[in-house]
Amino acid sequence: MKYADSHLSDQQLLLDVEGELSARDERAVRAHMEACWKCRTRRQELEKAITDFVRVHQREFDGELPPAAGPRALLKAKLADLSETGDRERGHSGWFRLGRGMALTAAVFVVAALGFVLARLGVERGRSLSPQTEVVSTPDSRLTPGATVLVSRPAVCAQPGTGNKAVPAVLQREVFREYGIPGADPGAYEVDYLVTPALGGADDIRNLWPHSHSAVWNAQVKDALEDRMREMVCGGDLDLSEAQREIATDWISAYKKYFHTDAPLAEHRRGPTGNGR
Amino acid sequence: MKSPMPPRFPGSVVIPLLPIASAARSADARAKLHEEIANVFDQLRDPLLRYLWTFGLEVPDGEEVLQDVFLSLFRHLERGKPVDNVRGWLFRVAHNLALRRRDRARRAAETQLDTGNEDRTADPAPNPEDRMADRQTRQRVLAVVEALPEQDRRCLFLRAEGLRYREIAGILDMSLGAVSVSLSRSLARIARSAERSGS
Repeated sequence: MKYADSHLSDQQLLLDVEGELSARDERAVRAHMEACWKCRTRRQELEKAITDFVRVHQREFDGELPPAAGPRALLKAKLADLSETGDRERGHSGWFRLGRGMALTAAVFVVAALGFVLARLGVERGRSLSPQTEVVSTPDSRLTPGATVLVSRPAVCAQPGTGNKAVPAVLQREVFREYGIPGADPGAYEVDYLVTPALGGADDIRNLWPHSHSAVWNAQVKDALEDRMREMVCGGDLDLSEAQREIATDWISAYKKYFHTDAPLAEHRRGPTGNGR
Repeated sequence: MKSPMPPRFPGSVVIPLLPIASAARSADARAKLHEEIANVFDQLRDPLLRYLWTFGLEVPDGEEVLQDVFLSLFRHLERGKPVDNVRGWLFRVAHNLALRRRDRARRAAETQLDTGNEDRTADPAPNPEDRMADRQTRQRVLAVVEALPEQDRRCLFLRAEGLRYREIAGILDMSLGAVSVSLSRSLARIARSAERSGS
């Protein structure tokens, strides 16, 4: 850097204030400032701007914080609870081990409690009804609000293909049980991801539901929507979080919106195929 | 926090290195990990809450988000995954959760984001002139900050919580240079507003 003839930029001055300059640059900046009143003054102005900002920012917030003891205790209780649940789940199903193998790293489960209303099942799904006969085309938002992993758009788009891995049988049974249809014929349903992992959906029971093969709005139709949304996300036409939200809130509406139709397109209504998409 | 403000952004908080939690399988080790996480919570809860508040999240909502953030940290460590920079990691997760919440809230009901901004004036300044000067500074600075692009604002808020440039770059997915450009541009605007107002 040459500082002899020109003045320092705000950026250089700020980096100096902040201690973010390399030793060599710092020496050069300091040497310039010793000789230059203008830059010294400017540096002070920037420091004052920091002071002003920090003071206003902290004052804005001051006085609103309740003591930390309560939230801390709550956190510890939740941690203890989580550890216990983890133990139980590990003991029963190995689901956590499965989770560990997930390709999406830096995974943090974020339960997107996107359903505000109560259940919006394709049909009334009273628990006393004969479960095998029910046609389910949308999940119960209380049981399956959707869950995503924290992952960026580039990471999502870097994943090859859109095929989801199969949901283990033990977990499928758990989903059936949760939905009050423990004796369901596994052949009649696809245990489906609400937010597909191809769009950052989590390998989590809160993101799984039994999707009837016989439904008009079946899993193949949803696959087509997922493919379309993924293309849009990766093409920069749709925000990833928006895609997750739409699919978790009401995937059928999303389909209608993106395919400009009120009914599933014929080419999307293939017969039941593999598992878990 | 009524002591005079330091001329610089607040410094870093010392974060203990969390034990990598493959060890968290024994009950003892896990209890220790819980305690360490709670200790980090003690240190970072206020800055994180303040940062969440800049998204329009009031304290109770911020507290709720923070519980999720710290539980996520535990799950992450429990799976034996490394966290190089705990503070940066927590801010990043909090940032992402806050974005989601905000988006959801906006869509759900056109909520009034900056509720009560005008009502938060109750800072007990020592005398009327000081209070007046404070109020003017506040209005001036807030006007500049509110007019900044979102990302510039985020840089300022994160820096105000003591995060270093590299951490901010990681949280906001920007380059180091872009963070420095953003901060100097924002501060230059604040400085210019001071010049104009003659303070």
